[in-house]
Amino acid sequence: MRALDWVVLLASLVSIIAYGLYRSRGSNTVDRYLLAGKTMPWYAMALSIMATQASAITFISTTGQSYVDGMRFVQAYFGLPIAMIVVCATVVPAFYRARVYTAYEYLENRFDAKTRALASVIFLCQRGLSAGLTIYAPAIVLSVILGWPERATTLLMGATVVTYTVIGGIKAVTWSDVQQMGVIFLGLLIALVTVVVLLPHSVSFGDAVFLAGAAGRLNAVTTNFDWNDRFNIWSGLIGSTFLFLSYFGCDQSQVQRYLTGRSLTESRLSLLFNAVAKIPMQFFILFIGAMVFVFYVFVEPPVLFQHTELERIAQVSQYQGVETRYHQAFERRREAALALAQAHRAGDVASHARSLADYRGAQQSLDAARSSAALLVESSGGEKGFSDTNYIFLSFVTRYLPAGIVGLVIAVVFAATMSASSGEINSLATVTVVDLYKRHFRRGASDHHYLTASRWATLFWGAYAVVFAGWGKKLGSLIVAVNVVGSLFYGSLLGCFVVAFAFRKVGGTAVFLGMLAGEAAIFWVFLRGGISYLWYNVIGCVVVVTVSLALTWLAPAAFARPESPPAP
Amino acid sequence: MPELRDVPDSPPPFLGSWRRVYAAVLVYLVVVILAAYFFARAYR
Repeated sequence: MRALDWVVLLASLVSIIAYGLYRSRGSNTVDRYLLAGKTMPWYAMALSIMATQASAITFISTTGQSYVDGMRFVQAYFGLPIAMIVVCATVVPAFYRARVYTAYEYLENRFDAKTRALASVIFLCQRGLSAGLTIYAPAIVLSVILGWPERATTLLMGATVVTYTVIGGIKAVTWSDVQQMGVIFLGLLIALVTVVVLLPHSVSFGDAVFLAGAAGRLNAVTTNFDWNDRFNIWSGLIGSTFLFLSYFGCDQSQVQRYLTGRSLTESRLSLLFNAVAKIPMQFFILFIGAMVFVFYVFVEPPVLFQHTELERIAQVSQYQGVETRYHQAFERRREAALALAQAHRAGDVASHARSLADYRGAQQSLDAARSSAALLVESSGGEKGFSDTNYIFLSFVTRYLPAGIVGLVIAVVFAATMSASSGEINSLATVTVVDLYKRHFRRGASDHHYLTASRWATLFWGAYAVVFAGWGKKLGSLIVAVNVVGSLFYGSLLGCFVVAFAFRKVGGTAVFLGMLAGEAAIFWVFLRGGISYLWYNVIGCVVVVTVSLALTWLAPAAFARPESPPAP
Repeated sequence: MPELRDVPDSPPPFLGSWRRVYAAVLVYLVVVILAAYFFARAYR
């Protein structure tokens, strides 16, 4: 980081926070603090929804994912527009009608207090786990790439987020998110332009796209069905529809964003904006990763992008052989790529086929050498299942991007972390106060009392996230597992809401038992293995609905919803 | 719970009704998937 990078980074962060706090003036009642007094315009909610969903690791990881595996991750978003339509048509009007602060408050209106409490606790478990990781995951990457102490990075990000979230409430969160998305878009656009400009003069943009495709990095749609394959069109259309239904219909961190709207129309527009914008945005981020791949076709990349591990295995005797194989494969791939681009331009079919085979063969050798290096990390006492995917993009940024742009991209990482974690902390505090404290511990207190409780709850969850992030190092490779564990809870929450909206005869106890059965089923499938996590949402939802309906049908006296008394 | 009529459900600012907006989003999704499919095929 050079002086100009620091200036850009600090200016971006200070302006984001100052603007958020300025726009949050007057958040002095619970309604204004938690729901912004229902005054937010659709575009602010839309960008806030987008910002909360996209954490820093999304940007760091997605570009790396495209580098190693191509663009097929984009399929995980194909279900989003379908989910948004369902949420806009059913969930949003129901929440508006019920005039709720939280999604789980609606469940008490529809079922009973225990179902609301169970859903709230499931949310706190799931979102509480990810709140720490949202801060920790980019902190470890920044510490390795820039040499900053993990604890300092975690504390800096955590303290900043907690300050403006505690002071300004959801208005500060939403308006900061708007600015953060601005920084994110600008940073990514400049990163793409820069990587294309850095390509060799003899390689045009058209050649770069062609070479990325020839190496299988533009595989945006794959139609093979496999239960264990995370990203194909089927898991994208079916599994991710359920995932996003859960996320936008039942997860308070998202629900709270669109409940701040001036009207039902504004809330719907904010969600539909995401339905339209999210797939192109993910496509764009993945495309940056594909272009970084092409850049490294002509500039030799390190064997591993995590330099601390690379320096460690460099001491191991077998590393020399791996490095030699890697270097030879790189040279072969570079020559084949130049020949292939030339043959493509000239329309020389025979040379094209020969160069393509060489290019792909060299890529396989290169991948094999990288795999050997990863195995060396493991065998020499490093992390099991080592992967350097999260380090690829930032490693490229800090090595090759000019001064100022590096600061802007690091600001993107900070902005994304802050926007995601502020939304999480704010929603965790809301559920704690509205669904648990106000409902079960202190009823009928003054508005000022609940406002103070909300601020303390925000401070508590912020401190919890920072402390949990501090423990993250001890979790080691469990980080990935914990991310997957987050998805273990969504299916039963979704099932509960599906029953609430679609099956009016089912009562509270039936759905409560259905949720417990749903959780048990998901955990059984998870422990058994062999099924990708996107399907957990489908399984959990189906079990909750089936068990609730079966109980209501088998013992209506015990489980059916009591008929409302006829109007006098 | 209060009735739906308590919440004004005004039409969207374009296309006249929410049904048409939802249909347009679905058509958009199909177009995006087809575009991504042909993009992937063209550069395979």
